[in-house]
Amino acid sequence: MDILAEDKKLSRLTNPGPDDELRAILKGSNFDDYKSPLFIAWQLNSACNLGCLHCCEEAGHSTPDEMTQKQALDFCRQIVDLDIPYVAISGGEPLLCPHIFDVCEFIRGNDISLKIETNGEFIDEQTAGKLAELKLRSVQVSLDGATAETHERLRLRGDWAGAVAACKSLVENEVNTEIVFVPTKFNIHEISDIIDLAYSMGVYGFYTGKIMRIGRAAKNWDILCPSDEEYKKFFDVLQEKTAKYEGKMKIYHYPYDVVEELKYRLECPSASLLVIPNGKVKLIGPLPFICGDLKKESLSQIWENYKKAWQKTEVVDFTRKVIADPKLLAESNNWREI
Amino acid sequence: MNFIEHTKVRKEKFGTVVFDTLTEKIFITDQIGAEILQLIEQGKNLPQIINMLGDSYDGDKQIIKKDTLAFADELKSNNIIELQE
Repeated sequence: MDILAEDKKLSRLTNPGPDDELRAILKGSNFDDYKSPLFIAWQLNSACNLGCLHCCEEAGHSTPDEMTQKQALDFCRQIVDLDIPYVAISGGEPLLCPHIFDVCEFIRGNDISLKIETNGEFIDEQTAGKLAELKLRSVQVSLDGATAETHERLRLRGDWAGAVAACKSLVENEVNTEIVFVPTKFNIHEISDIIDLAYSMGVYGFYTGKIMRIGRAAKNWDILCPSDEEYKKFFDVLQEKTAKYEGKMKIYHYPYDVVEELKYRLECPSASLLVIPNGKVKLIGPLPFICGDLKKESLSQIWENYKKAWQKTEVVDFTRKVIADPKLLAESNNWREI
Repeated sequence: MNFIEHTKVRKEKFGTVVFDTLTEKIFITDQIGAEILQLIEQGKNLPQIINMLGDSYDGDKQIIKKDTLAFADELKSNNIIELQE
């Protein structure tokens, strides 16, 4: 009896990353062999109180066609029926969605692992308590600086002190808390300090990786993207801190950028779906393609659409164009139905 | 012996997937591994599992025991299960 580890993080969704050894091990367990997705990334709403320069979703105002509470709960029922083990909820800012706790209670009530990704600014003591009751896999709080000045320069209208207080409140309430840090030219120099800050707050894990050239980040790419030299220092610090905090705090980093990821996904798509607030389902974050609509089709049908979509000439050709010209990543939110 | 919280197990046609959603790692086992996982899910302890496999399969019981213990160690070292006995 063997157990084969896909020793790769899921932060950019399931299936192994571009690693030849793992590909060989997993030959025969491609994404289309899975009866349903292993993971759902669900952008619950579009509303957000911030205007982050690097927002993948270009979030801000809510849109009129977002899924209603009833539609959202019907989707949850389908997640349960298809035995999908893991869901991550984000937004927008998901805590601004009026039915977030109904959704979370349904998912957790059916013993599905659940992560919530938030800016932390709506987590007071009472909300931290409610989140604790859900026994979540984790709450991930975005913290893009070790100082208020840096964090708020990138996260417009952001409140660094509020996000830090949220982390502390979550930890006090024994919620598995993680911090996400996106490196940019503005904040990459604070990587060492923010990891130390994360540890001092007692969080479970620290997540980072190269900034994704999607959405608003793609539009602001020239002012945001760190240089190769900055990245080298950044990864050196990560390595040093990973060793320093081994056994005390998890430090995860995803080493690939979006283009590297797309090259791999073209060959080996992940067993996951990305659901956007209006119920449409994207093939993958960096591409504009929509492979289904939860308001019109079942999740099961959309999973079949997803498998076929990756083979379509339109998708393959456009993905190759994006790989050749990453500026096209700015189109990731100009949805195209396929 | 039981699964660590947030570890999920799902049967697929190519084997059984063990998804440690906390570390976001995926493991895949063969059919006998899947049987052991199922017995763990049913709340069986290690000696019970070894006995049941010994009864189900032809072959040297000592080898079955050794392989089962090795598999359980692997599950434990990957933080998939915790051993209570």
